[in-house]
Amino acid sequence: MIGKKSWALILASVAALMLSGCATEVKRVGVEEVKDLSGNWNDTDSRLVSEEMIRDSLSTGWIDRHAKKSNKVPAVIIGNIRNLSHEHINTNTFIADLERAFVNSGRVDVVASKSEREGIREERADMDLNASEASRKEMGKETGADYMLIGTINSIIDASGSEQIRFYQVDLTLVNITDNRKVWTGQKKLKKDVKDAKFR
Amino acid sequence: MSNNISGVSGGSGWVMQEFNLPRWLSGLCVFLVVLVLPGCATYSLSVSQLETATANRDLDGAIKTLDELKLSGPDETLHHLNKGTLLRLKGNFAESNKHFDAAKNLMGKFNAISVTEQLASVSVNDTVKAYEGLPSEQLMVYAFEALNYVQSGDVDGAAVEARQFDVKQHLIAEKNNAKYLSGAFVRYIDSMVYEAAGERDEARIEMENAVTGYKTQNSGFPVPQGLADDLKRLNAGKPAPSEAVFILHNGLGPTLSEEIIRVVNPKPQNGSAMFSLAVPKFTRRSVPVARVILSSGDASANSEIVEDVNNIGERSLKDRLPAIIARGVARMVAKSVAVGEAKKQGGELAGFFANVATTVSERADTRSWTLLPGNILMARLPLSAGKHDLIATYYSASGNVLGTHEFKDIVVKNGRKAFVADYYMNPPAQSKAQ
Repeated sequence: MIGKKSWALILASVAALMLSGCATEVKRVGVEEVKDLSGNWNDTDSRLVSEEMIRDSLSTGWIDRHAKKSNKVPAVIIGNIRNLSHEHINTNTFIADLERAFVNSGRVDVVASKSEREGIREERADMDLNASEASRKEMGKETGADYMLIGTINSIIDASGSEQIRFYQVDLTLVNITDNRKVWTGQKKLKKDVKDAKFR
Repeated sequence: MSNNISGVSGGSGWVMQEFNLPRWLSGLCVFLVVLVLPGCATYSLSVSQLETATANRDLDGAIKTLDELKLSGPDETLHHLNKGTLLRLKGNFAESNKHFDAAKNLMGKFNAISVTEQLASVSVNDTVKAYEGLPSEQLMVYAFEALNYVQSGDVDGAAVEARQFDVKQHLIAEKNNAKYLSGAFVRYIDSMVYEAAGERDEARIEMENAVTGYKTQNSGFPVPQGLADDLKRLNAGKPAPSEAVFILHNGLGPTLSEEIIRVVNPKPQNGSAMFSLAVPKFTRRSVPVARVILSSGDASANSEIVEDVNNIGERSLKDRLPAIIARGVARMVAKSVAVGEAKKQGGELAGFFANVATTVSERADTRSWTLLPGNILMARLPLSAGKHDLIATYYSASGNVLGTHEFKDIVVKNGRKAFVADYYMNPPAQSKAQ
């Protein structure tokens, strides 16, 4: 038989255990650490796509072909990346990675997108009124893009019971704005087997 | 001194290990149960204020009331479903979808079995189980999210919902053999979404599935003519016309009240021959609007019923009731054993308190997505591309005008649909049960 003191001890232990879970816990982790929680698209998927696209886009011959033909560095603008998948995916993460790789390589120029340009033009218009003549920037000196980057994210989900096979395919294409020719296509496929917990 | 309370297997076959409990502790437990449970009014009673504020078009007041209800823990899904609905009715589509997404996440989480909750449901009552949403409610979230996206101009976002819905509906159909879970209405909406997103093949498949779904679920209204016309047009290879699509959340969906039924005790040696069991009772509420005329200038269009939430709710409860009663019988067997043991070990007073505690704790699970409409009406008005003022006029079954709502400067793009929505509810006092 359990005595009064033992019962009090058990109750205190249970209370202590319950309360220990109350504080928010934060642990810093490396950005390359793979941590899949729900099986949804996450930072690792984005990183894998950007790594593949950067490697492929900078190693294929379209940059050299452009340079040889025009004797200039190609200028790229980011167009529409359509999400045709089952999830609301933020495409900005891997597109920003790709932009950074283009710019930092020194082999590809990236021009501001439509929405970014609006802000810059506003600033330029403001300069016309308020900036000194020496520092004022003229209108009509923008660089026109040679290529537009467009793409899609598609997915196929096969689900039964608590298990799902999720397949993602990211396709990016560089289209010559002058003649609509596709000069580069990159592709990354990802596949996941997601099993939902049966008990909680 | 200690009491010896032992539980034995009930109808569900579970066995509680024998254990000793000091008298002061068992007394404390009974006291706490008696103290806490009377505050647990059934869910449907506690949300009536929320319904009143919504019916009176006081959406800010309704949101405040909902927040004050503090639906959390096992009821958190209900908070998000209702908040998402209120924000949608208010036109705050982005915030509404945040709550619907939160509800969907919880539905996924609560789909996994919790052993402690299962035990509690056969020892206390069903309300201790986390609310994961009825299958029909789980499907409806996708329609409201998709509508929120198209109403805020994000067709691709709506198409994501449409694709998610397809997976979800197949899983729900796999788990529940119920014809009324065809998701026909959601598929009808999704077919429009796909077509707007330029995915005509997906649109055609979704239209065909919606037609089949409406026929299969047989909810007492015909396949919407607008859907049949869409399918015919698409099969003929014709493009989508420019039009306004009006959606009305009509009245309030069914409510569940508590009903006490008498069932035979399968183990009469442990107590009385009959049990009183609290089970949910379906109450259909009147749907105020019989038809909508959507007009712009000289052009006008009549509405059609595209979803009957009342019908689906009634069939859903009918399907669930046998399992609810079976769980209730198992629970009452366990409770009667506990009362008998309390009386044996602690005397008449302990038996009395245990009896009070078990009676008070016997509550029906009356939870449901309160702010779902009773049915959904849709009116589609072909219009030329440009800006239009729309007027929706609501008629009762007897032909009286219940109200009108004007929508100014609705932009209809060439070959596109402009979605507009509204809701109409009778004040709860006038929502007589049918």
